[in-house]
Amino acid sequence: MDVDLEKQLREEETLMEKNVVLTTIDKVLNWGRGYSFWPATFGLACCAIEMMATSAGRYDISRFGWEAFRASPRQADVMIVAGTCTRKMAPLLRRIYDQMPEPKWVVAMGSCASAGGPFVDSYSMMAGVDKIVPVDVYVPGCPPRPESLIFAMLRLQYKVSHPAKVRLMRHGK
Amino acid sequence: MENKELLKQRVEELAARVSGEVKESFGVFILKVKAPYIIETLTAAKSFTDVPCDFLHDLGGLDLGDHFEVVYQLSSLRGPQLLRVKAIVDRENPVIDSVTRIWQGANFLEREAYDMFGIIFKGHPNLKRIYLWDDFEGYPLRKDYVTEPIEVRNIVRTRIEGE
Repeated sequence: MDVDLEKQLREEETLMEKNVVLTTIDKVLNWGRGYSFWPATFGLACCAIEMMATSAGRYDISRFGWEAFRASPRQADVMIVAGTCTRKMAPLLRRIYDQMPEPKWVVAMGSCASAGGPFVDSYSMMAGVDKIVPVDVYVPGCPPRPESLIFAMLRLQYKVSHPAKVRLMRHGK
Repeated sequence: MENKELLKQRVEELAARVSGEVKESFGVFILKVKAPYIIETLTAAKSFTDVPCDFLHDLGGLDLGDHFEVVYQLSSLRGPQLLRVKAIVDRENPVIDSVTRIWQGANFLEREAYDMFGIIFKGHPNLKRIYLWDDFEGYPLRKDYVTEPIEVRNIVRTRIEGE
């Protein structure tokens, strides 16, 4: 084993015995953020039913620490866009997003919010909310099952807690 | 089926009066009239003796290519009678009298028909778009409506206050 690494590990071990953990402040913050999302409910259509099911007893999203669904955007940091966003709704969605405090993330739930879904050729359809807000995770499905949403939130958690790894996966540098 | 025979008799009397035609489809009488007769027809249908069709169940537009139709679904809380009245509206000049004087509830239904088909209801208290935004161009449920390309639709519009 590398001599330097061994030395570092031994130092960390002695610190652990004294109940001291060294880290960077970003790591701690990102770890905390990843385990305590406060989603803003933006239920627009049938996906909202699945979102409610996810937060209810059987699937119980609070196991992961994301139970505090907020009706006010000012108290939330993840916006789950669940359902069909029409062109009339689009400016309001942008306004809700703008009212959320930083740092904030967006999950586009279902095929409507991701790309327009079955209504993509409709006169009133905003095909994909990524035209108005930056989307972090897309969830396919019509509507997605609660497991899909939980998996999407886990991916978002991974993205939040390991920004460098995600950047590497995405851009390769 | 005494109720149905009574209703048939009343509808046929009315059809003769307003020069309409009666058909039956799946047990429901369909009375087709021209647009100018619509107030007279519906007022009479509302006060049929013994079988009043006094509840406006639904109101909607139809685009049949060369003309529009406004469909009034009538029923009653006082019996099983059902009646469907269809008013033929000209396509170039889609004007018909509003029935908000007879049924207040027709207000929003007529606004929807105006929104989707551009049928103008004369005498309506507040005839403007109900679902779509105010500066939307065209009437999307008309057969000759062409949906804008997705690049145009993806431009985010600014919201008008009080919309």
